[in-house]
Amino acid sequence: MMGRIISIVVVALVPIVFAGSPLHAAKGDPEKGREIYMKRCWWCHGEEGAADGPAAEFMLPPPRDFTEGVYKFKSTPFDELIPSDEDFFNMIKGGLMKEHVAGWNGMNNTSMPGWEDMLKDDEIWHLVAYIKSIVEYEQPEQGPISVGNKVASSEDSIEKGRKIFREMCAECHGEEGRGDGTKMLKDDWGYRTWPRNLTKPWTFRMTDTVEDIYTRITVGIPGTQMPSFADPESKKRLNDEERWHVANYVVSIAAPYKKPDENTVIKALRIEEEVPDNPSSPVWEKAEYTSFWLVPQMIAKERHFKPSLDSVSVKVVYNDKEIAFLLEWDDRTKSVPGDAKAEEIAAGEVFRDGVAIQLPVVVPEGSEKPYFAMGDKAKPVSVWFWQSETTTEPQRLKLLEGKGFDKIEERDPSAIGLTARGVYDHGTWRVVMKRPLFTKEKDKDIQFVEGKFIPVAFAAWDGSNGEKGSKHELTTWYWLLLKPPVGASIYIVPIAVAVVVLVGELLLLRRFRKD
Amino acid sequence: MRLLQFVIWVIISYLFFKLPGILMGKPIPSSLILMYMFFAVVMILLVMTSTEKSTRELLAPIKSMLEDPSKKLIRNVVFVIVPIVAGVITYEQIKPTYEAPVELRSTHPAPPSTIKIYGKTYDLLALENPYRKYEKEDPEKFKELVREGGEVYFKHCFYCHGDKLDGKGHYGQGFNPLPLPFQGKDTIAQLQESYVFWRIATGGPGLPKESTPWLSAMPIWEDFITEEEIWKVILFIYDYTGNVPRSWE
Repeated sequence: MMGRIISIVVVALVPIVFAGSPLHAAKGDPEKGREIYMKRCWWCHGEEGAADGPAAEFMLPPPRDFTEGVYKFKSTPFDELIPSDEDFFNMIKGGLMKEHVAGWNGMNNTSMPGWEDMLKDDEIWHLVAYIKSIVEYEQPEQGPISVGNKVASSEDSIEKGRKIFREMCAECHGEEGRGDGTKMLKDDWGYRTWPRNLTKPWTFRMTDTVEDIYTRITVGIPGTQMPSFADPESKKRLNDEERWHVANYVVSIAAPYKKPDENTVIKALRIEEEVPDNPSSPVWEKAEYTSFWLVPQMIAKERHFKPSLDSVSVKVVYNDKEIAFLLEWDDRTKSVPGDAKAEEIAAGEVFRDGVAIQLPVVVPEGSEKPYFAMGDKAKPVSVWFWQSETTTEPQRLKLLEGKGFDKIEERDPSAIGLTARGVYDHGTWRVVMKRPLFTKEKDKDIQFVEGKFIPVAFAAWDGSNGEKGSKHELTTWYWLLLKPPVGASIYIVPIAVAVVVLVGELLLLRRFRKD
Repeated sequence: MRLLQFVIWVIISYLFFKLPGILMGKPIPSSLILMYMFFAVVMILLVMTSTEKSTRELLAPIKSMLEDPSKKLIRNVVFVIVPIVAGVITYEQIKPTYEAPVELRSTHPAPPSTIKIYGKTYDLLALENPYRKYEKEDPEKFKELVREGGEVYFKHCFYCHGDKLDGKGHYGQGFNPLPLPFQGKDTIAQLQESYVFWRIATGGPGLPKESTPWLSAMPIWEDFITEEEIWKVILFIYDYTGNVPRSWE
């Protein structure tokens, strides 16, 4: 009892002791901050902090508008508008995520970099002081929320979290947490926002720690439709323990295979059974995914700056006759042109979703490949282009020959036995494209030969994001290798060598004995 | 003891080939090391067997191991280990690796002497940034030009080359080769402005073959921005990074 009274007194005294204390006032000088700002920050955030710099219109999410004073990622409670000084500092400094994607060391998957390698800590404090001065922010009245009552992750906790998630969160984040909600969401600034795809924690803006996830659930994301689940007024209020269960569940649904890594080679698996023509075939479980970054097409007109797809994962299997590609990518919206529901949640006109595999027509012998975006005159590419259905037409497949962006010819895919089939499930497309290994016209179609490194690239379209024609996401060239089954010879030869050496030794011994 | 000497010399020469690569973070390919080691071992053997006596000394421990009955245990151990080592080395050599083929490319290829863009022919050897002179003549005007160049950069370039001009834009990781950083002293600091003009105006497809034009994602900027905008953005990338363009003298 006594201890409790003392702690109440201490907590009550904190604001009095620290209010206007020189400790905080001395942390940064807004005028010096303004100087740095006008060199480093205004390009996106605007001269007066109104998020209207020259770069602003080319990015989604847009830069933060400092004149509003609303900050999405903060650790102070939901009813406290002002982030802590450390929140401000970390937002600028970055580097919080331990295993971040190269170039994403600030706000992950946005254009805000971490500045730790370019600005000194005191310069960052100057910036904090300046940015706060735009809306004349003082210290927050309430400090950061406590993450001290953490519930350790366990099967039980994850299961409890899953149940709450289905009930409370799935409406926006989707049944499987892939952000494939059923609502069109906008933030307070009028921009389209997407609920996070929780299976890709490397795209979380701050970090992917369970404490950070718990903080988002507890504080909410101000300015967006992500509410605080600690707000007693809210119908969606969860108690502290429940919020930890949900955080544990969110950590548990991460799908690391979707994160592209250093590997640039898809190893096609040789199988004995039939090559599958649909994504649900159990055969696919034998093969492994290789994942690649998708980036917007910014090279030729029309350029695309606000992509909604960020990676594609690929499996390839083959037998002695055929080869099949399984392409899997997360797309929050199933784009069905003509469908009222699809139109309601789309950014504008709805086009078909799509995916494409690009291969050289002739596998290059040397290092010289076709140009990675639609080939070139001397070295054409084959593009297998699948598109989703509309309300009136079925899925379709095109076979294209590319000799450059504007030199594309269409051919009949059925003439070479090329087929495709796609299935959409809870925010994920899975499309299988299949073809015989060899075709009649060897100068027009790629021939799949075992053991050769074949250049391969991919492209994808989200029709609910205005993506059509040249507006899409793409990858650079990677490699496909039809991995021949490893014969017994790789074990026999070393054993034979060992035997030969042993015989040599014995012969030597005999000779010395004779002497 | 000559045998021990031999072993020591072999180890020293191995380290001599291997260490510098490891220390500099650019290991020498193992196939090259294998070749160097072959010659090194041959050399050491030649030197150590130059006379009848030295040969005998070198081989003495082996001879005694084979002949001396008291060393039977050592002999049996050696006889087992040597074939196993030979088998393992063979396996390492022939086992299939699925590593991607190495693609060598020249980052800063030699420029052509003339280029044809914007419907004109430019002599790269004589080409200068028309705005550079204002740096001394009219610093206020120069500052304004740099700022205009910055606006070009933050509309067209930062996605890949980065907000910090460090080559780490938020889409940079999706490309190969990675976007060039402008920070540091080993990229634009080594180049003339006319060279940078050429690289921007003709983009990836304008590269010579040794620089793998089929891989570069650099757009052909001639199609998107004006000549003046290119010169201004060049002013900006030097100014922001504190680099100075290389001059002809």
